[in-house]
Amino acid sequence: MDIFLQACVNGLLMGGFYSLMGMGQNVIFGVMKIVNFCHGEMLMVGMYLTYVLSTAFGLDPYLCVPFVAVLMFMLGAVIQHTLITPSLGTKSFTNLLFLTVGLGLLLSNGALVIFGSEYRTIPTSYAQTYISLGPVNVALPRLISFCVLVVISVVLFAFLKYTTTGKQIRAVSQNPVGAEVVGINAKRIYILTYGIGTALAGVAGALLTGFYTIFPTAGASFGFRALIVVVVGGLGSIPGAFFAGIFLGLLETMVALFISPSYSDLIVFITFIVILVVRQMIIIRRK
Amino acid sequence: MSENVKAVRAYRRNVALALGLLLLVFVLIPVFVKSPYILNIFVLVFYMSTLSMAWNLLGGMTGQNSLGHAAYMGLGAYASCLLITKAGANPWLSAIFGMIVVGLVAGVIFYPCFILRGPYFTLVSIAFGEAMRQFIINSTFFGRASGVGLPFGRDSWLDFRFGSKVPYYYVGLAMVLLIYLLMKKIERSRMGYALRTIREDEDAAAAIGINPTKYKIMAVVVSAMVAALVGFFYASYIRYIDPDLMVQAKSTESVLPAVVGGAAYVEGPLVGGLIMIPLSEFLRARYSAMLPGINMLLYAIALLAVIRFRPTGILGWYMHSKTKKFVDEKLLRKPPVEVFEAVELQKHSGKEA
Repeated sequence: MDIFLQACVNGLLMGGFYSLMGMGQNVIFGVMKIVNFCHGEMLMVGMYLTYVLSTAFGLDPYLCVPFVAVLMFMLGAVIQHTLITPSLGTKSFTNLLFLTVGLGLLLSNGALVIFGSEYRTIPTSYAQTYISLGPVNVALPRLISFCVLVVISVVLFAFLKYTTTGKQIRAVSQNPVGAEVVGINAKRIYILTYGIGTALAGVAGALLTGFYTIFPTAGASFGFRALIVVVVGGLGSIPGAFFAGIFLGLLETMVALFISPSYSDLIVFITFIVILVVRQMIIIRRK
Repeated sequence: MSENVKAVRAYRRNVALALGLLLLVFVLIPVFVKSPYILNIFVLVFYMSTLSMAWNLLGGMTGQNSLGHAAYMGLGAYASCLLITKAGANPWLSAIFGMIVVGLVAGVIFYPCFILRGPYFTLVSIAFGEAMRQFIINSTFFGRASGVGLPFGRDSWLDFRFGSKVPYYYVGLAMVLLIYLLMKKIERSRMGYALRTIREDEDAAAAIGINPTKYKIMAVVVSAMVAALVGFFYASYIRYIDPDLMVQAKSTESVLPAVVGGAAYVEGPLVGGLIMIPLSEFLRARYSAMLPGINMLLYAIALLAVIRFRPTGILGWYMHSKTKKFVDEKLLRKPPVEVFEAVELQKHSGKEA
């Protein structure tokens, strides 16, 4: 029973990251209808940014989070403005797809060229601190990260729901032409959303560095799980993404606990395919 | 307009001439070039271009952007290798066996998945590739993560086993040629037109009596079978395969020649492969000791530059430059079909471009 509870908590804490990644992907996919295949690489860039900031200035990884968020937002905005917005005009889905795939290749291989392939960690004094919550032991960095990302999720949800800019983003995601008609600058919203999406991925990366190794392909598995979260959680739904991420984290640890850790990826991918197909079948039925 | 027709005919003649000359050069290369390193690069160009052509049938022609072609290639390699090592079958027969198995697997798995469109299909293809890789890593029958090796021995055509690279070179060349002719045949057949109609507008295709699911299944099965053939060739050439063959990055790598060369054209992957792969290999050999990943970085930059500035690829760029005088400059950034439509419109309105 204790092992089960421990696995639940671990799954929950890891699922939080999938949620955060999924929310970024969800915002981008919801507004521009493009799948951001470099989302995982953005997480990796966030990790390296944290690494550079904390080794150069001796900052604690968690204090780096705001800086990483701002820098990643700027990176995302520049990418959107110089690469994605012009290609949106061609309306070629293949090109948009391989644009983000190419960006992913650029970022991961750029990191490989700059930092080499060695695994890096950011040493902190509290990395090995554990807190006992009843029968469960939780690593302190994981707990802090989870709390921070819950706060971020709530803030993002409130931002999209209640602020004017958030409403504009939702308007563009529902109907870009209609939004332009009522005077919303869609291009500005695109830049904003891509910036927010990459900033969320970067923040997820920064929060991961407390207990995760940093290497050029660190983001790949998170990137794909973010896509699963978007599909399972529903388009444009922030709470949906949050719970889908938690569900995914729990599913992984449960498979690892009851079947075998080496099967967890396999089960996740198969579940994903089944969910996608069944979901589409239900949609077709309803029509 | 007659000028248009003339331009098209002249273009076709030029292409046929250029391809014939190119083929002659390729046939003669091993006679003059003895360096195994150079020959290895050519073999690499051959099988990567073939894989890219396989992708192009599904991605470029049908508009179903698969990112799981490394999985078909890996499955084909595994199917034929296991038949050779476990049952002692003849490699050529096991190649056919591998192609049939992979074709069946692709057809059966993707049959329910074709109700998914656009990005969702891409997601399924990624998930399928990764699931297959994880399955092989976890399966003792498939040799788990340590892979399968093919037996070494004396040179023999029957066992498709050689110490020298020259026979592989010619078989690779024959494979490229064969698949190119097959793709060209498909492009000009009823199926090719149906696939391109589906790419442009699936609902419209269904409305005029094309069964999208049937043609998409045909495309995915042919594409997977060609990828399986490439897998067999790869396995016979390297004589060792492991699940790393099927990683996501390999699928991406198989798409790049097509997108850089021009995904709307059958020749696109060949052009892209001939330009990109030697360049990438050169960079790998020259700089990878100091800067690992530099060749893929170049790949990425080339891909981004092509998509950003010449979205129809190198071949599309060339084709547009041939028809520039008929077409508005702005159209250069649009997909070929729109360019064609614009030309038609101008023809009927009788306006000078």
